Amino acid sequence: MEFVGFKNYEVLFRDLARGLSGAYYFLAPFYTGLRNILLYTAIVVPTQTILAIVLAAFANQRIRGVQFYKVSYFLPAVTCPVIIALIFVWLFMKNGFINYMIQLFIPGFAPDWINDRNYLLYAIALVAIWGTSGHFMVSFLAAMQAIPRDVYEAAMLDGAGPIRRFIYITLPLLKPMIVYVVVMGLIGALQMFDLAWVMAGRSGGPGGAGYTMALDIYNEAFINLRPGVAAAKSIFLFALIFSITFIFQKKFKVMPR
Amino acid sequence: MRHLRFSKLAWILLTYIILTVFAFIYLVPFIRSFVASFMTWEQASRYPPEWIPNPFTLDNYLKVLRLELFPRWILNSALYAGLIVAGNILFSSMAGYAFARLNFPGRDALFSALLALLMIPVFVTLVPNYIIIYRLGLVDNIVGLALLSLANVPSIFLMRQYFISLPQDVFDAARLDGCGPIKTFFYIALPLAKPALGAVAVYQFLGAWNAFLGPLVFLRSPENFTLPVGLSFAFQRSMWTEYTPIIAGSLIAAAPTIILFIVLNKYLIRGIAITAGKG
Repeated sequence: MEFVGFKNYEVLFRDLARGLSGAYYFLAPFYTGLRNILLYTAIVVPTQTILAIVLAAFANQRIRGVQFYKVSYFLPAVTCPVIIALIFVWLFMKNGFINYMIQLFIPGFAPDWINDRNYLLYAIALVAIWGTSGHFMVSFLAAMQAIPRDVYEAAMLDGAGPIRRFIYITLPLLKPMIVYVVVMGLIGALQMFDLAWVMAGRSGGPGGAGYTMALDIYNEAFINLRPGVAAAKSIFLFALIFSITFIFQKKFKVMPR
Repeated sequence: MRHLRFSKLAWILLTYIILTVFAFIYLVPFIRSFVASFMTWEQASRYPPEWIPNPFTLDNYLKVLRLELFPRWILNSALYAGLIVAGNILFSSMAGYAFARLNFPGRDALFSALLALLMIPVFVTLVPNYIIIYRLGLVDNIVGLALLSLANVPSIFLMRQYFISLPQDVFDAARLDGCGPIKTFFYIALPLAKPALGAVAVYQFLGAWNAFLGPLVFLRSPENFTLPVGLSFAFQRSMWTEYTPIIAGSLIAAAPTIILFIVLNKYLIRGIAITAGKG
């Protein structure tokens, strides 16, 4: 081991510059990974958060069988991501189950999800949303059940329907939980590894469409045998996660009451 | 008034429909793979999909179990999870006890530093950890891999919160009877902490059984793999002409966590909701 100054970071930023100047993915896999993971995060985090809130709001009523719904929504979260990905590779086949279900609603739409570079990342994102939204739904439901009933009853006396009660009472009181879920979602999504490893493969699948920063760090350290560069890239990933979550928390600061 | 009651009924109906549709979405991959694991690949890949195995076959499970290393991977996963559960029960509870009940200089600063560790992505510590384990000569060794997670921050945090919630009188009484901190820990604190220890054990088991990145990096030879790593290599699509054995193998590997979850669903879901609320 020897001290090399900023040489490892130089490699990293040269990769970035090459990607930005429009070279092909194989010249700068790091840039591809960064671009993919940002797109993936932009899809996954808002979708799973909104889905979780809406489902929790529906479940937070006087209905029977809440425990059954919780268990079925939560099951993906306790199952190994590698196993989920293996199963979904099969479900996403061209003549597979998911395309069959989609055809019921959109006839003629049957992409070859896993082998088509235009759809691979979306397939991974769908699996991630499926896998985590149920977990967050349970968190939201717990937070909603902690909101005192009389707040809702007062609103009901004032003539507010369920949708307006949701927008004007539930959402504002849920803010701390929303911040928590978004931050946890960001941290998880930005370092996504397992799903991409199985669904796209170590080198990111067709056209590098499923390549992520985490895969790139692994490849640098254990395939290219450049642990220094891998460490530099992991610090870059850390800085990215830290700054995005920091900005988010700053912006939606929970006001002490 | 009748109009109001009607809209209320429609709303409840809508609620049930939406919740049930989503329950279907979350469950159907499991149901579909369970059914398909008893089908021939020829039937499982038929379009449109079929739901009743005909002929009913156990071939897929037999094919997986005939893989020479598959039972070995199950044992490895069990060993890895067992080591981590045992380590966390002992060491995380010790650390949690120290942070909750002992007074030493810098305790709170140390605890804050520990919590700050939660923000650091695993990839940052991956290379340094690998170097440490490599220097110790423990690469490709499940014990070496387990060494890295014998105590971890969420477990320590959970144990600390639990020990703080216990009444101080119990510990005062123990001290009056002449128990030192070590004796108090083993004879008073640990037996009282059974619920928290159970929670730590279950979460650590789930985490270790499902762990992928650590085993992938630190285990090198196929006979040392844990289940997720073994499956991800053995089940590369190019190596199999049919996918049903892969599904069967995945279900075997997922069975312990699924069964554990269904048996303990009330406690697990409540526990996760509580820890989430602290964030």
